[in-house]
Amino acid sequence: MSDGAAQLLDSLDALACGLFLLTSFGIVATRQARGCLQLFIAQSLLLAASAALLGLRFHAAHLYGVALVNLVTKPIIVPWLLRKTSPAGIYTRREVEQVLNIPVTLTISLALAIFAYFVGIPLARAAGPQFVGPNVPIGVAGLLLGALTLTVRREALPLLVGLLAMENGAFLAGISIARDLGMLVELAIATDGLVIVFIMGVLVRAVQQHVGTTAVGELASLRESGGQSGDAEVTT
Amino acid sequence: MIVVVILLVPVVAALLVLVPLGRRWMSGVTVVASIANLVLTGALALDVVAGRLPRELHDGGWSRWIAIDGLSALILVLIALVATTAAIYSVGYMEHGHLAVRKLRLYYANYNLFVFSMLAIPSVAEPTLAWIVVELTTLCSALLVSFENTREALEAAWKYVVLSLMGAGIALLGFLTLFASMQAAGGGTYTWAGLVEVAPRMPPLLLQTSFLLILIGLGTKVGLVPMHTWLPDAHSQAPSPVCALLSGVETTSILYVVLRMLPIIEAVPGAHAATWMLVLGLLSVGFSAFLLLQVHDYKRLFAFSTVEHMGIILTAVGLGASAAGYGAMQQVVNHSVTKSFCFFAAGAALLAVRTRDIASVRGLIRRSPVAGSALIFGGLAITGAPPLAVFMSEFAIIRAGLAQGKYVATGLLAVFIVIAFFGIMIHLNRMVFGADDDGPGNERHEPETAKFSLPASCNVALVLAAVPVLVLGVYVPEPLHRLIAMAAATLTR
Amino acid sequence: MTQHILFNLLQVAVVLGFAPLAAGVLARLKEIVQSKRGPSVVQPYRDLWKLFHKDEVVSEESSWIFRFTPYVLFVTPIFVVLLIPVLTTYPLFLAFMGDMLGVGFVLALGGFFSTVAAVDAANPFGAVGASRTRMVSFLAEPVFMIVFFTVSFVAGSTIPYIVQQKWVTPIANFFTPSHVLLMIAFVMLILAEGGRIPVDNPSGHFELAMIDESKWLEYSGPGLALVKWGGQMKFFVLMCVFLNVLVTPWGLASGHTLGAVVLAIPLVLLKILGFLLVLVVIESSLAKLRLFRIVEFLGAAFITAVAAMIVQVFSA
Repeated sequence: MSDGAAQLLDSLDALACGLFLLTSFGIVATRQARGCLQLFIAQSLLLAASAALLGLRFHAAHLYGVALVNLVTKPIIVPWLLRKTSPAGIYTRREVEQVLNIPVTLTISLALAIFAYFVGIPLARAAGPQFVGPNVPIGVAGLLLGALTLTVRREALPLLVGLLAMENGAFLAGISIARDLGMLVELAIATDGLVIVFIMGVLVRAVQQHVGTTAVGELASLRESGGQSGDAEVTT
Repeated sequence: MIVVVILLVPVVAALLVLVPLGRRWMSGVTVVASIANLVLTGALALDVVAGRLPRELHDGGWSRWIAIDGLSALILVLIALVATTAAIYSVGYMEHGHLAVRKLRLYYANYNLFVFSMLAIPSVAEPTLAWIVVELTTLCSALLVSFENTREALEAAWKYVVLSLMGAGIALLGFLTLFASMQAAGGGTYTWAGLVEVAPRMPPLLLQTSFLLILIGLGTKVGLVPMHTWLPDAHSQAPSPVCALLSGVETTSILYVVLRMLPIIEAVPGAHAATWMLVLGLLSVGFSAFLLLQVHDYKRLFAFSTVEHMGIILTAVGLGASAAGYGAMQQVVNHSVTKSFCFFAAGAALLAVRTRDIASVRGLIRRSPVAGSALIFGGLAITGAPPLAVFMSEFAIIRAGLAQGKYVATGLLAVFIVIAFFGIMIHLNRMVFGADDDGPGNERHEPETAKFSLPASCNVALVLAAVPVLVLGVYVPEPLHRLIAMAAATLTR
Repeated sequence: MTQHILFNLLQVAVVLGFAPLAAGVLARLKEIVQSKRGPSVVQPYRDLWKLFHKDEVVSEESSWIFRFTPYVLFVTPIFVVLLIPVLTTYPLFLAFMGDMLGVGFVLALGGFFSTVAAVDAANPFGAVGASRTRMVSFLAEPVFMIVFFTVSFVAGSTIPYIVQQKWVTPIANFFTPSHVLLMIAFVMLILAEGGRIPVDNPSGHFELAMIDESKWLEYSGPGLALVKWGGQMKFFVLMCVFLNVLVTPWGLASGHTLGAVVLAIPLVLLKILGFLLVLVVIESSLAKLRLFRIVEFLGAAFITAVAAMIVQVFSA
């Protein structure tokens, strides 16, 4: 591969990663549940793009498989599964009041992103000189921002998206440092993601039926002191 | 092949449960499948002890995916054992709720799948596959935790899934880093055994990072403080037989994956893996010991005790001598058998008084002698009263710790264990022997003098589960002793 | 030398001449998207012509600032034009006077006078508009800073002529994440500073909801014409900075002949038309934000700019 082409592929991959970081920020801060899902789909497409570009760059055919799996499962099957399993209401929800207000959340996410760089860069260096690129630090940042989403959001769909975004982040880092992971494992992980969506969808439906809300994060009756858990009559 | 059969049995059972042949069919299939699996895993474990591993595990394509050694055989037996007693217990316990057939079918199908996912953890040889089956345990048990569909159960299930999967996301990065560090070391087969081989050549930074990510990620699922917040909820809201599985063996089977990392990380000098485990372990023991004092719900009591016991095991591993390793493995065994018994007892109490609130239960021994005595026996057993099983292993751990000269850590451990003893026994003592009129909740729960009798299968399960608790306190059978020693040996390089 | 002075004046003439056209085209495009016919693209010129031929009314209570401000607002964009590349890839006669920070300061001078003048007229809406504008610029300023710092970090300079070359040599640089993120952040800034949807509605007529427009309620006649023309030029200048410095220098004249520079005029206008199309899509697909949501909008711009910086600084 010529030097110029390699450089172009590198910077295109870096671009995919940069936009990936942007979508992670978006997922943390977007009020509309549907917007969150769309950002997640965009993020998965960027992950697929990054995998394909790295595959092209390092002649790793296995990464094309990763890209393909991501293209099929996340933008197509995940929304389909959600439509099948969860109440339609989860899309139209908006979180007017988050746990922290949005500027504070965004500031924390910035700090997390910087922290991810401090962690990710030495990690990528230790793996070998050919792994230096934005994939590892931005993947770690994606992971951390997904975790942040899980802590600041209350609505079902953003929480689910946060979980899947964490996995996306781990993958973004993974495709650069663990290029030759078996295809079987890759497929199993993808299937696993779908099972997550299915189970969470069923749970959200149950919560909506029995509790009457989709703000699952607001359920907080199980505590040590002052909790109501003792008063609950057993139905079994 | 025997491993594949062991894995297939619960899957086949889950499929058979779906055949609509009535209530007895579903529970019958589950019980028979569990007993069959117990026999199979027992045979496998005996083979492992005798050094006769099935041939296909040594060579051929299997060894890439499936591997059995002392540690995994031990965990397999424990899972099969608790799955059996819990299946027997389920027969009467679930019948008691007069559930719709459809709901009951969901329960048994999920039950078998959950058992399958747990059995798969010690069986698979590839770390990323282990990660996937760990995820599967969460997903298969989520609907069991939310089974009762109350507000609390749903909340518990949601927290359980979200936090476990959050941890799994972190662990995934750890496993990918582990793979990368093996690639950096020049490759090899990506299995637990292969990793131990190439570990000395791995870049220390990568290896250490992957260990920490896996410890934190899977530690969430094990219920280590400060990632434990979901555990008391999930382990108390699920139906009691499921609680026994969750607390008794799910936690230890996840801990198994963390322990697998030990011989790998020990190849790196100055990795401080033992220190990390010691700190996290002591934190878990101490935190849960103090939280036990203010619990309102007696099933949560046992759930917190699980956090405590996971901490004890981790501390024992962190103490680092081979004696402590033996103690840790013994503690794994004793915790599994004792904790499952405790949840059966708690379930019996729940059937008798129909409330989980400690304050509204007084004089349980008069309402249901079986449930009351089981509860007090379970409490004594799990807190390590002599001469019961847990006492033996805790004693071994503390003795090993003192022999190592780690007086501070061992002293703290001993103090926390004593606090936990009082935390649990104060509550249980009032519940079982307390006078009827000293509870604030008794205006709602009229003192019922009518005796309550448990379903027969629950009694059978209680007796079966009590046997190992009693026996292991005074005598460890020779094969089991050898198996534990083998398991302890795999913890070190 | 004289040639460069000539080109410099030509740049000023282009901005003076085409700024109203850009505003007209944007207004017309928006109307077309909304399935209306809309005014002619030369309507801004007619408005200016009309205003210049009207009498001006100035409140007796107002001070010299009120009368002086239209000239400041008119002159500052022209001053900026002398510094930045509008038509050429090489610096012109007066470009040595300031870098991109200088551009920011000069534009901020106009902003300062407009705020003071709005309060000076003692119209309550003026003060409301002034304080809201301050809020927006107060939030936009850090974004500007981060963008400039990142740019200077990448290019090792804040001179626009050096910066613009950096993005295209080699061409792979165009796709670096820091570049793309900076472009996104700057588009958001243009929306905020130019008073466009979703921050402000430039075609709104409801005083209470106005941000920018309410500062000019007291102006009339030639004064209003200067203010309007100045605003259009400022918008044009921002677009030039964005398109020529931050995006790419393509289409600018690199030859030193008059022919090459004149040829650059249609190419630059084409670039601007392309950008206006993008802007129309953005404006038509978004709704105006509530005032306190603007914080979040600019917060997003800030995050984008800082993300660009993180990606650039920490991986270097």
